[in-house]
Amino acid sequence: MHARVAAIPGTRSRSARRRARAGLIFVLPAVLFTVVFFVVPLGMTLWMSLNDWPLLGKPTFAGLDNYAELLHDRSFWSSLLFTAKYTLVVTPPLFLLAFGLALLVQRPGRFVGAFRTAYFLPVVIGMAVASLLWAWMFNDQVGVLSDVLLKLGWVAEPVQWMDSTGTALGSIVMMVLWKATGFTMVILLVGMQGIPEDLSEAARCDGASWLQRTRYVTVPLLRRTFALALIISIIGSFLAFEQFYIITHGGPHNSTITVVYWIYRAAFTWFRLGYAAAMSVILLTILVVLSVLQLHLLRDDA
Amino acid sequence: MMAKIVKAGIAALLAVAALGSPARADDISFWVRASDSSFVEPMVKVWNASHEPKVKLTVIPNDDFVTKFGTAVGGGAPPDVVAIDLIFVPAFVEAGQMMDITKDVQALPFARSLSKGHTQLATYQGKQYAVPFSAESSFLLYNKGLFKQAGLDPTKPPTNWAELESASKKITALGNGVKGFYFSGACGGCNIFTFTPLIWASGGDVLTPDGKAATLDTPAVKKALSLYRRLWEAGQMPSGAKNDSGANFIAAFFTGKIGMTGSGAFSIGLLKKEHPEIDFGVTYLPGEKGGWSSFSGGDSIGIPAGSKHAKEAWEFIKWCLTEEVQVEQFAKNNSIPIREDLADNAFSKQDARFAIAANAMAHGKAPYSKHFNTLINDPNGPWLAMIQEAVFGKGVDPAVSTAQQEFTRILGGK
Repeated sequence: MHARVAAIPGTRSRSARRRARAGLIFVLPAVLFTVVFFVVPLGMTLWMSLNDWPLLGKPTFAGLDNYAELLHDRSFWSSLLFTAKYTLVVTPPLFLLAFGLALLVQRPGRFVGAFRTAYFLPVVIGMAVASLLWAWMFNDQVGVLSDVLLKLGWVAEPVQWMDSTGTALGSIVMMVLWKATGFTMVILLVGMQGIPEDLSEAARCDGASWLQRTRYVTVPLLRRTFALALIISIIGSFLAFEQFYIITHGGPHNSTITVVYWIYRAAFTWFRLGYAAAMSVILLTILVVLSVLQLHLLRDDA
Repeated sequence: MMAKIVKAGIAALLAVAALGSPARADDISFWVRASDSSFVEPMVKVWNASHEPKVKLTVIPNDDFVTKFGTAVGGGAPPDVVAIDLIFVPAFVEAGQMMDITKDVQALPFARSLSKGHTQLATYQGKQYAVPFSAESSFLLYNKGLFKQAGLDPTKPPTNWAELESASKKITALGNGVKGFYFSGACGGCNIFTFTPLIWASGGDVLTPDGKAATLDTPAVKKALSLYRRLWEAGQMPSGAKNDSGANFIAAFFTGKIGMTGSGAFSIGLLKKEHPEIDFGVTYLPGEKGGWSSFSGGDSIGIPAGSKHAKEAWEFIKWCLTEEVQVEQFAKNNSIPIREDLADNAFSKQDARFAIAANAMAHGKAPYSKHFNTLINDPNGPWLAMIQEAVFGKGVDPAVSTAQQEFTRILGGK
């Protein structure tokens, strides 16, 4: 950054240098924070992944052994596949719902503030807490969901939410929609409010209906916002852990194990930190590639 | 303005810190799992009222205990005293994470009457690394009211599998949501506790005595799994059994609609206190053709290597084993003492069901393996996969052969 300021020819005056130094001091806390909490741990993870590193006992250097083992670890790849499947299943409804809600609460009006708050409220609860809450709601003996359906007479006996892979995944998707839609909604809302009012006015003068205004004015101008929301949502889904760990326990028949769940098991059930680190490195690589791809696809000048 | 906010923030932080941990540097830190809290919390209160240094108790959720303790030990910050499920002691001992207390134990006047099962699991290469702390044995819990309604004699619970099946069938026939049998089908720990005794009582086992090889591919294991599969297929268990990861391990029996279920000593106190309306009986977990067995479990207590208060910690542990604690605290709060010389006490005499629990404890067993967590308790591990596949899935034979392979792989190292 410093170099770029200085590189502009003929402007390297005293005051410019002082300003550059001041800028450096201003960004220093952020840089320090990033180094301590991101760069150093990342470096340690990379180093760990090259070692046979038990939780109890001493690490020994292992070169690329962990990665070689990973290639043949079918459970790891199937957890990756399941994570991708989960992401594909959860992202579209999350997006549509959030977009719909954002359209609803976009304009000022009576109760709009209250609705916005209501939709956003689940976001402020921690994922683990929300998962525990839903785990009990899904419980077949004492859970409220089964009970309501029973009382309505829609089912004859308690619903087994975690009975098959399909119902277990469906239950989690339901819970995540409740939990995360509000967040995506707020991102989209901010984007919508950034669209100048006159564009919509002009379209209205030209006789465009609400649907046409949404389709031809709002959606195209929200491109960047969509990209941001999509990246956050996809990364979030790829890192899903608590809801599966707490609600499905990876079952039935280990069919709902996400990749982070698998990493957690390697580290804290088998106590193999090095192997877990190697998986984390692979996951990180995948996420970087995905994000770059998305940014590329949703570029403004595309 | 800014200064005010900062000041207020610091004050709030200090307040939180003060609330959170009144611990002092010379306190003895003590970790237990949540299921012990009912008798450990009052016990620690008694110690703190009359002893120095004080004990700072931390209660950890059952399922997270090994992870938390392992991480603390790995991170070089273990507690001073730890009470840990006896089954996990070998893993930590063999990793060199527990202090050798052989001499201190031998100096105890009642050393010989300490629970054998605990002691065996805490001994490695002739040295002892932990002592028994609490006891928990498994048995068959049955609903006497339902036995009567189904025309069965409530004083004659089943003594073999044929009797168990026929009783279950008659109770299920009562209808109205009543089922003969229950087990937590998605809980590994629950089933090593209540299902393996059926195998042991029939002459089989899941591991060799030295814990080095798996013996799942044997008739006793297959027959016990087939028993559960028959009960399931005949509709003698509620459908919730399949997906219960332990949350309803005892709660299912609380509904009063379950005839029989494997359970443990802890349930006696719970039932008496919270469900006095259920008339329940306790009997041994039977073998195929008679005989019985039990899982002698519970917690062992020891000092992690690296404890900064090893001497004070041992004083505290010694006190935990006294009659004052084992009878006046544990037995009074519906737990079984870990000293055989205290098995008959004022509290156990009041209820014959405790005598069965204590006898089950004295004559039961526990498998020895440093891979126990990976094999058995892991919700995604091979033991649970076997039960799921054998009882609810493809069938006993394929389930057993897969599990035998997985066990062998894990026991072999990786």
